[in-house]
Amino acid sequence: MKKRSNAIFTVALLSAIVLIFTAADLMGEDRVFSETENRILAARPKFSAESLLKGDYTGSYDTYVTDQFVGRDKWIALKTGMDVFLLKKEIGGVYLGKDGYLLEQHLPEAYPLLEAEKRLELLERLVKDWNADVMLVPTADNILTDKLPAYAPYFRQDEFLDRVKERVGQEHYIDVYSALKEHSGEEIYYHTDHHWTSLGAWYGYLTWADFKGLKPGDFDPAGMEEVTGDFLGTLHSKINLSWDADSISYFPETEARPVTVTYDFQTGADSLYERKHLETKNKYGFFLDDNHGFVEIETVSNTGKTLFLIKDSYANCLIPLLTAHYDRICVLDLRYFRGRLYPLLEEYASEADLLVLYNCIHFLEDFQYS
Amino acid sequence: MFLFRFLPIFLICYYVFPGRMKNFILFLGSLFFYAWGEPVYVLLMLFSTAVDYFHGRLIEKYRGSARARAFLVSSVIINLSLLCFFKYADFLVQTVNGLFGTTIPLLKLGLPIGISFYTFQTMSYTIDVYRGEAKVQKNLLDFGVFVTMFPQLIAGPIVKYRDVEERLYRRSISIEAVSHGMRRFCTGLAKKVLLANNIGLLWNEISGMNFGGISALTAWIGVTAFAFQIYFDFSGYSDMAIGLGEMLGFSFPENFRYPYISSSVTEFWRRWHISLGSWFREYVYIPLGGNRKGLPRQLVNILIVWMLTGIWHGAGWNFLLWGLWFAFFLSLEKLFLGKLLAALPRMIGILYNSVVVLLGWVLFALETPGQIFGYLRALFGFGGLLDSQALYLGREYLVLLLIAVAASTPLGARLSGYLEGSRGGGRQALYRVGEKVILVGFLLLSVAGIVDASYNPFLYFRF
Repeated sequence: MKKRSNAIFTVALLSAIVLIFTAADLMGEDRVFSETENRILAARPKFSAESLLKGDYTGSYDTYVTDQFVGRDKWIALKTGMDVFLLKKEIGGVYLGKDGYLLEQHLPEAYPLLEAEKRLELLERLVKDWNADVMLVPTADNILTDKLPAYAPYFRQDEFLDRVKERVGQEHYIDVYSALKEHSGEEIYYHTDHHWTSLGAWYGYLTWADFKGLKPGDFDPAGMEEVTGDFLGTLHSKINLSWDADSISYFPETEARPVTVTYDFQTGADSLYERKHLETKNKYGFFLDDNHGFVEIETVSNTGKTLFLIKDSYANCLIPLLTAHYDRICVLDLRYFRGRLYPLLEEYASEADLLVLYNCIHFLEDFQYS
Repeated sequence: MFLFRFLPIFLICYYVFPGRMKNFILFLGSLFFYAWGEPVYVLLMLFSTAVDYFHGRLIEKYRGSARARAFLVSSVIINLSLLCFFKYADFLVQTVNGLFGTTIPLLKLGLPIGISFYTFQTMSYTIDVYRGEAKVQKNLLDFGVFVTMFPQLIAGPIVKYRDVEERLYRRSISIEAVSHGMRRFCTGLAKKVLLANNIGLLWNEISGMNFGGISALTAWIGVTAFAFQIYFDFSGYSDMAIGLGEMLGFSFPENFRYPYISSSVTEFWRRWHISLGSWFREYVYIPLGGNRKGLPRQLVNILIVWMLTGIWHGAGWNFLLWGLWFAFFLSLEKLFLGKLLAALPRMIGILYNSVVVLLGWVLFALETPGQIFGYLRALFGFGGLLDSQALYLGREYLVLLLIAVAASTPLGARLSGYLEGSRGGGRQALYRVGEKVILVGFLLLSVAGIVDASYNPFLYFRF
């Protein structure tokens, strides 16, 4: 009898779990976008006889059900918790480093020599054609090596940068790697995000100014102003564990003089910062209103000079520091720009200083020049 | 999708409808299940079902005459032709092209999921009917249920007709059986999702490396990871199938019995994919004479059976080689090694078997000669013995590997059996509560693994 009641209880318990989640899932509303995963979720596929016979329909339907499953974020958190329990130090491409650092994993085999050579050839041409300077910023895993899990593999960006230097020549290469390495004990990268901090960007700026033979502006890292204290960045999104938040700071000196900013030839603004992003998850968007294909910045520096910058999002927190040195800064992000590059360069860059500013990984993945 | 749509709806219908209607529900449900993955080839499966149904009846009708034999041969030929056409045609074409430099175009047909499993099931039926070991099935629906039954349809176990014959029309479903089936199902699900998929990530990472640059330790970690992945994946599917079978009132044969604790290759094959081994023994090895016609003939029979076993797992030279590899060690064990191993401590046998099986998995998991040789070189230390990569991966997966080792032994089952059978009230209570906590944990964690779904491969698309 005891056996039987035990069996009934097991059946009831497991059935109840499945039925409750089935019912809850059927009643749940579909979401379009997942903030935690930062991606668009699959929508209910359209039925057609053709897609059914090809096997596409059922496949997309499975993806749809999985993506829209009730409590999806919590399930993913549970899975991550399991990985932590298994003492894993890498979850979903993110290293759980020491001192609360999350570091994006870049495996050596993901960046084969040949691919890198192709990008370097393009870069070399750009440098020759426009007399451009190159500043490629190493990512955190290469600078904060002491924070990585023991023996964790990472793509050696110092070796890659040596080749960059060789290809573009000493006179075009800004060595930000050494500068950051020297300050690797400071807060130069966010703990939860793949970007460098304003402090890191400041060291980059000093290296740049030194390289250009310019006197750097009067920025005081001790006087940086914190704009938010609860920034959980892109790397945290991938693991979604409870974690200590970062703070975002900026140099208030950069707001001392008026600027005019035009985004994508249309919307204007009178600040390099957009505070509305501080209310969202994507708080790094505070700098230069997140991602735009083309941004023009007019300043009152009266130097008579123009800078044309080809960059990724690493540049966004460094650009404000450059405003003292140029009347006009044109900022091009190739990942978001939907026009032709050459006419744009002809129009804006013929009299300008040209600077290429990426982190090494984005450079290897996204840089284009054709 | 399966767990939160198909299964609850199907089971409710199945339990609500009375007696004989259950077969109809099961048949419809199975067709839907198969058509979900193979919307076109479901027709092929129905064709195969019809062919064997009618052949069975014809064999019965002409029993005793030469025609019965003719119909048996015809059934076997049709079944094997279908299997060969869909599974081996391109392999043969490639081989011919390679040997003679011809350029016969490939057919590029997708392999129908589960064809190797259901073809073997239907063949067992006609052969058994011919031999008089099974009664002919006159009800097309009941026969259709046997062939298409969804729990074991795509990844086994291979159920022989006579194993389930009676249950096809007469089965009772007890709450104890359903409870036991659910427990089995959850355990299988956990093996697949929590162990196989996670440890598969490790093999996935290592097999993607350049084998020239990996150390021996990395290579051994990699092949061990694959060994656990395929074991927990395959036996997990079998557990789920057996569990679902129990929930439906069937009793399917066991398919795995802790193969990695075997102390010889002979023992390994009695514990690994048992339903396939017993199929080949019954329908190939014994008809060929088995061990009754002298040792030389027995060795030839072993060779034939394991070559077939090899290519059953996929149309490729590496699978043939994999079969030959085992045939070699099985023969050695028949000749002298078996006796020697029996005299040695069991640990040595386990070690020997593990090395043979692990090296075998290299042949199984990698396809081209270049990859296989590259990997073997790494295993034997040509790329150095140890490097930081091996230390990193070893540390990263240490806990999971230890859990996998423990889960490959009967320890868990023994503990649970001990607690369940003990008289002490405390231990009984511990068993009841512990069982439920573990099952609910398995279920919820597996759902988390499925929803996260970063890596969930289906390994049997080649079987």
